[in-house]
Formats: sequence, structure tokens, C-alpha cells
Amino acid sequence: MRGFLLRRLGSALFVLFSLTLLTFVIARLAPGDPIMQMMGNRRDPVRYAALQQQYGLDQPLPVQYLQYVGGLLHGDLGMSFQYPGRPVTTILAAGLPVSLKLGLGALLLSTIVGVPLGIIAALRRNGPADRVITTLMLGLFSIPSFVLIGLLVWLDLTLYKAHWPSLPVAGLQQPASWVLPIFVLAASSMGYIARITRSSMIEVLGQDYIRTARSKGLSAAVILTRHGLRNALLPLLTVLGPSVAFLVTGAFVVEKLFNLPGIGNTTIQSIGQRDYPVIQATTILLGVAVLMMNLITDLLYSVFDPRIARQG
Amino acid sequence: MAVRSRVQLPAVGEAQASTPPSLWARLVRNSWALASLAFLIAVVVAATVGPSLYQNLASADIQPLRAPDYQDYTISGPAASWPSAVHWLGGDDLGRDTLARLLTGLRVSLAVALLVETINIVLGATLGLLAGTFGGWVDQVVSRLADMLFAFPGLLLAILVSAIFGTAAQNVAGDIGRLLLVSTALALVSWPLMARFVRGQTLSLRQRDFVQAAEAIGARQSHIMVRHILPNVVGLIITAATLDMASVVLNEAVLSLLGLGIQPPGSSLGLMINQAQPHLEQNWFQLAVPGLTLTLLVLAFSFLGDGIRDALDPTTR
Repeated sequence: MRGFLLRRLGSALFVLFSLTLLTFVIARLAPGDPIMQMMGNRRDPVRYAALQQQYGLDQPLPVQYLQYVGGLLHGDLGMSFQYPGRPVTTILAAGLPVSLKLGLGALLLSTIVGVPLGIIAALRRNGPADRVITTLMLGLFSIPSFVLIGLLVWLDLTLYKAHWPSLPVAGLQQPASWVLPIFVLAASSMGYIARITRSSMIEVLGQDYIRTARSKGLSAAVILTRHGLRNALLPLLTVLGPSVAFLVTGAFVVEKLFNLPGIGNTTIQSIGQRDYPVIQATTILLGVAVLMMNLITDLLYSVFDPRIARQG
Repeated sequence: MAVRSRVQLPAVGEAQASTPPSLWARLVRNSWALASLAFLIAVVVAATVGPSLYQNLASADIQPLRAPDYQDYTISGPAASWPSAVHWLGGDDLGRDTLARLLTGLRVSLAVALLVETINIVLGATLGLLAGTFGGWVDQVVSRLADMLFAFPGLLLAILVSAIFGTAAQNVAGDIGRLLLVSTALALVSWPLMARFVRGQTLSLRQRDFVQAAEAIGARQSHIMVRHILPNVVGLIITAATLDMASVVLNEAVLSLLGLGIQPPGSSLGLMINQAQPHLEQNWFQLAVPGLTLTLLVLAFSFLGDGIRDALDPTTR
């Protein structure tokens, strides 16, 4: 168990190192001189040197990288190029709550809808309920998020025009404003989770121990919860990581199209302004979020299925 | 009688019937895969010859469209227009013909998909094959490199790369530069997966008797790789590349949507979607055209990929 966890932690550290190194290298390879840009391309060697020193860009590259990582460890993500004197952390802090609510909301929604639907489909295999659920979930999984947004917003506007109850499609003032963005973001992972649950549940229900439990005369509910679900939900843990990765890409699209002030939109804005420290920071932040999710998954997995940790 | 004939040597006609159907025959028997293939061929033809043909057919030079006859639009200025005899799919809010833009946009999608899969096969499959065959430090280097790129969730690395080098690529080579950059960025995300697939398959093939036999008679590793392993991973490579095209087409649209792909005067499906979104209330059709096209394209690539996989390995069905 300890060896397993240590190895997982080791690989997480490697991933973290890769994230920081690659983002650093890419940002340094970026064409154009950020300081000249900051100074509006005026020639002023004295100010240039001062700014260069302030941002630490006068050091050799390996030193810059070490300083960058050192800063990261202290929670210091550097200064914005676009808004001189403004720490990147302040800029991120503005967008973080929005993205966090959006992402966690979508993760929760896709699980609490996807898992039960997957179970129902498995229990009613090849029946009409299964057909409907499977088709619906395949649709949700395959439809590109921006097409879904278009469809839902159009429906919503049609309802609104007909003076029927409808959801707000812009702004975040009311709680109801979150419904559409969260649903769209959740859609593809909801389909994914339902499909995994269904196939894993079908596999488990075909196992010998289920037949044994049945022949013992246990009630269907006990078989389902104690023998079925417990084993069927394990593979679901492994898809949590990929689901979060889906959400990260999806969040960019959803935040952009619903015009929400989250991390995704902050990144897109910084891209337009060539504000590399902010771009670097958001990349690392999102990477770390997925990394944490994967670590938690591994931990849970080894708790729920001790064989994994023993085999390593 | 039937039993006896099965025991006897089969006649010529029977022998032909009993040989397993060819790969093509098995693929064609799958109606979803066949329909997808037909659709994709139609799309490729339309994207290749469509733009020049349509200009001649519909209107020599696409006329600026007038504002639609709309009673209740809230945004001032010309909004998108509806299909007509001259403009078969209507026009966008700037008065550009939608079908003409769609056809050019499809060119972008297909070109990017083709470029990415080329890189995927040349780089990803080769590295996976080398790593699986030679093992040792080759495997270590390839696997760690792939792990590093896997550190970035989803499209994040592609977003980062196309964002930072976008302007430079545009300045050097215009739209072509953007296209190459977007393809490279997307390939950066997808080659590690290809390498991992091929490496895994290679490792399992190495345990098979025919490879062990080749090793036993003293064949060189490079010979084993090219003559014994490669022919057996080609199917996997083709399947993986076709399935990956579905995500590449989608991801290219996401990059365009975020403003990181082909830039506004040009056209791509993602850009069309981004542009039609604000005018959804006045004209949903202009969003439906690129949206539906993209969805169909993604579905067609996935069905075709699934079909190829099933045709190559009938036991998976």
C-alpha cells in the first residue's frame, strides 16, 4: 500500500514538473519581447533594464526557471505583463470561483444523473428504457458543446418569446442563470458516465457471485446495492480523471459562449493581450486540478479495491 | 448428403464461398460504416471542387446580401439572411454567402485532420513501434516524453501552443501558417496516444510464436519490426487514426471558436459557429448549418473508425 502510494506520488510529481517546464519553455520561446511591448516599443535602456530586473528576465534561463518554480511553491505566480504591478494570483482569484462552481456543478450533475441512468439501463437491458437511455446518452456524449448551446439557447428564447417560463441566458445574477452553462458542460461527461456505468453494471450482473447471491434467496435490492453497485462503481472512479479533463476543455467553450468571467475566459483574454505569465498560470492551475483529481481517484481506488495496491 | 459434401474436398465454387470475406466486404456490410464512408467521400469532393463550382452555378461573384425581412430583431444592423435561390444556404451577418463559407470551412477541417493524422502516423506510430520493439532506453525516452505531454488535460497544450505562436505563424505564412500551427498543436496532443496504442500492441506481438521463432533463427530486431510486427499493427494504426480524426475535426473547431485558428476574413466551421451565435435569436439557421455539418462529420469519422475496427477483427463484435 505504501509503495503504491509513493509510486503514484512520484508520477504525480513528474507530471507537475513536466507541466511547469513545458509551460515555461513555451512561454520563453514565444516571439516578441514582452518588455518592449510593455514599454510601448519606446527605446529607453534605463527603464528597460529596470523592468527586466523587476521581472527577473535578466537572469540566465535555468535560473529563471528555478525562480519561477520557487515562486510557484510559495503561491507566487509572478506579475502580469499586461497590468504591470498586478500579481497573476489576483487576476486568477477573480475568475476562480466562477470556474470552480461551474466545474464542480457539472461534475456533480453528470454523476448524479449519469450513474442512476446507467444502472436503470443495465437492469432493463435491451428493453425500451435501455434503448431510450442509451440513445439519449450517446447523443449527449457526441453532440459538440457549441451545438448543444445553440440548440438550448434557441429553445429557451423560443419559450421566452411565447411568454412561457424560461431560463436566463446571460449574466450570473440569478441562481437560475447557472442552469444552462452547467448542463451544457455536464452533458458529454454525463453521457460518458452513464455508458461506463451501464457496461460495468452489465458485466458485474453476469458474474457468478451475483448468481450465488440470487440462489441464496437475497432480495433484489440487497443484491443490487451490496453486490452489484459496490463492484460496478469501481471502474467509474477511473473515468473521473478523464471526465475532469473533458470539463477543462469544455469550460473554455462554455465560458466563451455564455460570456462567463471564469478562468477559461481569463486565459482567452490574456492570449489576446499576450500576457504570458497569466497564460502560464492558468495552464498550470488547470493541469494541477486534473492531477489532483487523478491522485484522489488512485487513492479511492486502492481503498475500495485493496488488490490494486497489493499488486502495485 | 450435406454432411458428406462438407467432408469431401470442396468444389471450386464452394472454396470461394468458404474463404473469409475480404476486409472491404466486411466493412461494406456494416451499413453505418458504409453510409459514413459515402458521406465523407461526398464531403471531400464538395470541399475540393465545390467552391469554384458553386460560384459558377449560383452567382459569378457572391453579391452582398441585404438585411433580412425581420420584424422583431433587437440588434441593429444587418443580421444573417435565410436561404434563397441565389444563396442556397443564405448568408451571414456580414452578407457573405453561407454555402461558400461552409465549403471553404470544410477544406480547413479536412486539411487539418489529414495533417494531424500524417504527423500522428509518422511520429506517433513510429515512436511507438520503436519503443515496443527495442525497449530499454528507447522505450524510456518515448514513454516519458508521452507522459510529459499527457500532463496537459484535454486541449490545454494545443490552446497554449496555438495561442503563443499564432501571431508569428500568421505573419510568416498567413492562413497556411495558422493551419500548420493548429495542426501541429493538435498533433502534439494526439500523438502520445497513438504511440501508446502501437507500443502496447507491439509488446504483445513480441510474445507471439512467430516473432519468437524469428528471433530464434537470429533475425535482426529491425527486420522483425518491419517484416513481422509492422504488418500486424497497420490495422490498429488505421483504426486509431480514423477515430482520432473525429476528435481532431471537433478540436479544430474549438480552437477556431476560441479565436486561435483561422482568422476572421478566412472561414472555418468553428468561426462560423462563433459568428452565428450572437444572432441566434434572429436566425438560428446560420448556426444550424455549421453545427450540423460538424456533428455529422464527427459522427461519420467515429462510425467509419468503428466499422474498420470491426472489419479488421470480427471477434470484437
